[in-house]
Amino acid sequence: MESYYLYSSGTLIRKDNVVRMETADGRKKDLKIEMTRDLYLFGEVTTNTKCLSYLSEMKIPVHFFNYYGYYTGTFYPREKNVSGKLLVEQVSHSVEEEKRITLAQKFVEGATANNLRNLQYYRRRGKEVGGQISSIEAVRKRIYRTTEIDELMGIEGNIHQIYYSAWETILNNQVEFKARVRRPPDNMVNSLLSYLNMLTYSACLSEIYVSQLNPTISYLHSNSERRFSLALDISEIFKPLIVDRLIFSLINKKIISEKDFEKGSMGNYLKQNAQQKVLRQFDERLNKTIRHRELKRNVSYRRLMRLECYKLIKHLMHDKDYEPFRIWW
Amino acid sequence: MYIILVYDISLEMNGARVLNRVFKICKKYLTHIQKSVFEGEITPAKLKKLEQELKEYVRDDLDSVLIFKNSNKRWLTKEYIGIDSSDVLSNFF
Repeated sequence: MESYYLYSSGTLIRKDNVVRMETADGRKKDLKIEMTRDLYLFGEVTTNTKCLSYLSEMKIPVHFFNYYGYYTGTFYPREKNVSGKLLVEQVSHSVEEEKRITLAQKFVEGATANNLRNLQYYRRRGKEVGGQISSIEAVRKRIYRTTEIDELMGIEGNIHQIYYSAWETILNNQVEFKARVRRPPDNMVNSLLSYLNMLTYSACLSEIYVSQLNPTISYLHSNSERRFSLALDISEIFKPLIVDRLIFSLINKKIISEKDFEKGSMGNYLKQNAQQKVLRQFDERLNKTIRHRELKRNVSYRRLMRLECYKLIKHLMHDKDYEPFRIWW
Repeated sequence: MYIILVYDISLEMNGARVLNRVFKICKKYLTHIQKSVFEGEITPAKLKKLEQELKEYVRDDLDSVLIFKNSNKRWLTKEYIGIDSSDVLSNFF
């Protein structure tokens, strides 16, 4: 199954039982509907209900992004994989404080283990990040001692702060990056983080869609309205693997530089052609495969997200305790 | 797996309709790269489905559809002479 990334502007219509993207200047692309997993729309696109109903029928979620590449929302087709039993379990794990914190701790623990993995990789490469590693190791011990979500969130914040403080060293001090700043991001690393986090979040959502999970009920993040917060929880674990490593390689290999950014309205935004460059790298990364130890076959990074959903389902159905994904290579 | 599908539909006996149907069916699963040539990554299950759909229209005595299968795209090298149509296969637009 494939993802389509459409950054041209034009109309999206249903034609000959496929979905066709047509631009004003007459260029067109037919999307092979049977082989499409999801769509990412970055341009100004006009569409109609005929097309949306068809996409819904084919179970294809559509992710919308604005001009700056910011996530606007997702057209989430009517759920076909519903399971009342699982929903009940999902809710009960969310409202019962004890069950919820157990899961939330696992998410934080998984994310931390992967953050450490990244740092250890660079330490082996001779970067001075030993200090951060031991600080994180120390804070990490407190994860399982927490009893409240807020406390856990605080620890997660601490870990991220320490983790990010190692970034300037990893990036060979070529770029400025002191702290995570959002809305709007103030420098290129923050812009890349915002952009890629949103893409990862959307990819996770597409995977959740195929599973029976309900995307609005989450554990680490609060169940806020108008948001698919479960995707935030799951993407947390994958950000170190997908987003962070991609940023390190984009900057260290000089694929992206200051020239690719546009300063405007107090922020720092990726230019259109740079967005495409990053997007291609992102897609490549998601399709990258790794030999899975337990399954004994090759799985793509994107597939790992799906497996995470399945593991979560097993936990919720009291089948097998959830163990977060940890980078094992 | 990665496949290349080519077809030859005879225009006799209301063949235009068959041609049209075959074209539309292939388009749902594969990328149209030349007049009667399609290619793309496909799963074994989807390929079965495609074959099933085609069998409804393809006339055994007049038409022929060939499918070249390749278990991995890596073992397929491709060269272009004339117009380079590599853009057609891209998922970025």
